[in-house]
Amino acid sequence: MDGETIGVHVDGVSKRFAHRVKGEVYAARDVRLDVKPGEFLTLLGPSGCGKTTTLRMIAGFEVPDEGRIRFGGQDVTAMPANRRGIGFVFQNYALFPHLPVADNVAYGLEVRRVPAAEAAQRVAEVLRLVGLTGYEHQFPSQLSGGEQQRVALARAIVIRPRVLLFDEPLSNLDAKLRVQMRTEIRDLQRRLAITTIYVTHDQEEAMAVSDRIAVMSQGRVVQEGTAQDLYRRPANEFVATFVGRVNLLPGRVVALNGGVASVEVLGTTVRVREVPTGIANGDAVRVVARPEAIEVVPAADGAIAATVVAHAFLGEKIDYDLRVGESRISAVRYNAGDVMPDGTGVGLRFAEDALALLPGAKS
Amino acid sequence: MNGSAALRRDPAVAATALVLWLLLALFVVYPMAMLLARVFVDKGGVTFAGVFGVLTDRHQIRAFWNSLLLGALVGLGGTIVGFVFAFTATRARLPRGLLTAIDAAVLLPLVSPPFTTAIAMIFSFGPRGLITYELLGLKGVTVYGLASTLSSEILTYFPIAYLTLRPLLAAIDSNVEGMALSLGASRWRVFRTVTLPLCVPGIANAFLLLFAASLADFATPLILAGNQFPVLPTQAYLQITGLFDLRGGAALSLVLLVPSLAVFLLQRYWVSRRYYVTVTGKGAGQTPFDSVSPGMRAALLAFCALVAASILYFYALLLYASLVAALGANHAFTLAHYRVIFTEGLKVIRDTLIIAGLAMPLGGLYGILVGYLVTRKQFLGRRTMEIVSMVNYALPGTIVGIAYLIAFNEPPIELAGTALVIIACYVFRYGPTGIRTTVALLQQIDKSLEEASQGLGAGSGTTFRRVTLPLIMPAFFAGLGVVFIRSMTAISATIFLVSISWSLITVKILENMTELSLGPAAAYSVLVVVIVFAVIALIGRLLRAFRAPGQVQVASMLGG
Repeated sequence: MDGETIGVHVDGVSKRFAHRVKGEVYAARDVRLDVKPGEFLTLLGPSGCGKTTTLRMIAGFEVPDEGRIRFGGQDVTAMPANRRGIGFVFQNYALFPHLPVADNVAYGLEVRRVPAAEAAQRVAEVLRLVGLTGYEHQFPSQLSGGEQQRVALARAIVIRPRVLLFDEPLSNLDAKLRVQMRTEIRDLQRRLAITTIYVTHDQEEAMAVSDRIAVMSQGRVVQEGTAQDLYRRPANEFVATFVGRVNLLPGRVVALNGGVASVEVLGTTVRVREVPTGIANGDAVRVVARPEAIEVVPAADGAIAATVVAHAFLGEKIDYDLRVGESRISAVRYNAGDVMPDGTGVGLRFAEDALALLPGAKS
Repeated sequence: MNGSAALRRDPAVAATALVLWLLLALFVVYPMAMLLARVFVDKGGVTFAGVFGVLTDRHQIRAFWNSLLLGALVGLGGTIVGFVFAFTATRARLPRGLLTAIDAAVLLPLVSPPFTTAIAMIFSFGPRGLITYELLGLKGVTVYGLASTLSSEILTYFPIAYLTLRPLLAAIDSNVEGMALSLGASRWRVFRTVTLPLCVPGIANAFLLLFAASLADFATPLILAGNQFPVLPTQAYLQITGLFDLRGGAALSLVLLVPSLAVFLLQRYWVSRRYYVTVTGKGAGQTPFDSVSPGMRAALLAFCALVAASILYFYALLLYASLVAALGANHAFTLAHYRVIFTEGLKVIRDTLIIAGLAMPLGGLYGILVGYLVTRKQFLGRRTMEIVSMVNYALPGTIVGIAYLIAFNEPPIELAGTALVIIACYVFRYGPTGIRTTVALLQQIDKSLEEASQGLGAGSGTTFRRVTLPLIMPAFFAGLGVVFIRSMTAISATIFLVSISWSLITVKILENMTELSLGPAAAYSVLVVVIVFAVIALIGRLLRAFRAPGQVQVASMLGG
C-alpha cells in the first residue's frame, strides 16, 4: 500500500475528567510517546490506567487538556478524527449493522470519493488479505466474532491510513482465536508497514505483537521498551509484577564492582549484572527473580533450603509454590522429570544471569 | 409438557388461568362478538347492509379519507418533532437541568386529558382567542379544521415518538458513529449514513404508533375539527348519540378497525424484525464524541425550546383561563370556576376518583398475573390468552366503547349505567401495558433465578413470592400508574358508557366545552393534571424503592 509512513509524537498530553466521588481525576497525565514510522507500539496496563484515553486522543475522539499530538511534522491536536487519516479497530468492532460486509469496508473509500471501480477492487483486495473473500454480502450479525474482527480490520486498513489504532481488539474472542488473530495482525502490520498503536491489558499479547511496549499506570507511562527490556529490567515494582510473574526478594548490596552487584538474599549471596543507577553499596534492594530464574533441585544440591507447598503439573512445565523460612516463592521447572510432591524438602539455586534489582521497598 | 400434566402439577396456575379466561371471554371476546353480530347479523341472516351503507355514503367516505390523512400527517409531524427531541436529548451533550426540563415538557401532554391542548388551542386561536383576537385583533377567524386539529394532535402525541426513539438513539453504540467519523466522514455524513439508517425501524414504529393514536383520537377532532373536517371516530359517536343509530355507528367503528389492524400487524410482524439496535435499557456506555456541531446544537435547542414553550404556554393558559371570570372578555381574577366544580361538579369528581381508584389495583394485578402466566407457565391456550388480552388495548377506544355499549346494554348481561362496566373497560383496555411490562421484565430475568430458588428447596409459591414478585414489582406499579392515568384522562371508549349515576370528569369537560362554559372546563382540566402528577410522583417514588438494575423505564410505559 502506498500511504506515507509517518511517526506519531505524543508530547506531554493530559486529560482530566470530573469524577463523582473523587472530584477531578487525571485519566492521562503528561503522557510522552514517540512512535517511529512503521513501528508497532503497544500501550499496556490494567483497566483504568489511561491507555484507552490516550489512544482516543491520538484518534481524535477526545481533545487533550494539555500537550500536543503530532503526526509526522503535522500538529493534529485540535484536528477532528475524520481528517486525521487513521484506521481504528474497536474492541466491539463497531461494524455498521445495517450494511453488508463489502459496504462496511467500502465506507471510508466512499467518504474519500474513490471511484467505484477502484473502490470495488480495493475492497476485494483487502478482503482477500484478511481471508474473507466470498463474505461481501453477509451482514455483520451473520458473522462469527473472528470474522467480525477481520471485517473491522479490513475496514481500517483499506483506506491506507497514516496510523492504525487498535483498542483491545482481541478481548472479545476466545483464547485460541486470540492467539491466531494476534499473529495475523502482526503479519499484516509488518507487510503494510503502517505505524501502529495498540492497546491491551494482556501482557502476553503485548509481548507477542509489539516492537515496543509502553506500560501505563494511573495515567502515566511508567516504562517504555521492548518486551525483553520490560521483562528483564523492569523499572519499578509495578512493571515487574504486571509484566509476567515475579518474586521480589528483599536483600542488601554487599559489594559493587564494575557494574556487578553482590547481593545478600535468602541467606546466600548472588551476583546481579543488571544494576539500576542510584544503587550504592550497602543499600537495601529487592532482587527481581522470575520463576524460571529459580532452579528447583534436590535438597543436597541447592544453596537455599525450601519446602514444596503446592504444585501444578502443566505438561511442558511444572509450577511450584515454595516456602523458604517465612517467604513464599514461585518457581517453574521445564522438561522436569517427575513431580516433587507437596511437603518435599528441596534446594533452590538462582540463575544469576536472569536476575535484576530494584531499590528496596519504601516502608 | 401437556395441559393435563401441567394442571396436575400446579392447580393454582390452572385455577388462575381459568378465572382469567372467564374474564377475558366476558369483557373482551363477548363485546367484540356482539359488535360484529350487530353489524353483520340481521333477522337471523348475515347482512352486509350496515357496512355497505357506510361505504357508499359520500360523507362517511370523506370521513374515512380524512382520518387517514390526519393520521398520516400526525404520524409524520409527530415523528419529526419526537426525533428532534430524542436526538437533542441523546446527542447534544445537554446539562442535566436542561434534560430534565425537556423530559418534563414532554411528560405534560402524556398525562393530560387528550384534548387539553385542543381546549388551549381554542383559548388562543378561537373567535375570541388570546392570540387571534386580543393580540392580533383578527375578527371572524375560524380555528376549526385540519390545521388546528393537526397541530394539536402533534403536540399531544409527539411524546410517544420521543419515548420510542430516545432509548433507540441512546442504545446506538457510539463507537459505530465514532468509527464512521474516523473513516473520514463528516458529522452530517455520519448522521445520514449511520445514525439515521439505524433509527429507521424506530422511526417507522413511531410513525405507526402516532398514526394509530391519531386514528383513534376522538376528543381532539370533536372539539377542533368542526363540520368541515369529519373523521371516523367523531362520526361514529354522532351517529349513535345524535341519530341513535347503533348499527351505523358500529359499522363506522368497524371501518376504523381496518387501518388500525393494518398498523398493528405492520408493527408486530414487519417493523419489530428490522431492528439493528437492541435496546437493553442501559446506554452503550462509552464516552460519546462530539456528534453535533455548536451551530447545530443551538438550532436543535432552539427548536426544542420553541416546542416546549408552546406546550408550557398552553398549560399556563389553561390555568389562567380557570382563574379568570371569562377568558377573552373579563380577565378579573376569580375562584368561581373552582367553586363550581367543587360544588355542582363534586359528584363527577368523586365518581371519577372512585372508578380510577378501583380500576388501578385491579388493572395492576391483572397485568402482572397475565404477564407472569403467559411468560413463565405452560397451560392450555397460553398463546391465545396473550393475543386476546391485547385486543382491547390495540383497538381504537371508539370500537371498544361501542362494543361495550352493545354488549352490556341489555340482558343477559346488563351492566349499563354501572361503575363496573366503566372499570372493566379501563382494566381490560389499559391493563395490557402492565402485561407488556411484566413480560418485558420477566424476559430480562433469567429463568435460572427461579430454578436456583427451587434448587434451594423453595416451592413454586415461595419462589413466586420471594423471587419473582419482587422482581416484577416495578411492572405492577407501572401498570397501576397507566391504568390510573388513563382512567382519569381517557374518553374515547368510556364516553359511550357514562350515565346519570356514574359519569367522568373528561366527559364533563367535553360537555362544558360544547356548552361554552370554558372556565369550569379549564378548572376541571387543571384538576386532572394536578391529580395525575401527584399520583405519578407517588408511583415514581414507589418504583425507585423497588428499582432493580436493568429494568424497563417507567416513562416508556406511558406511551400506550
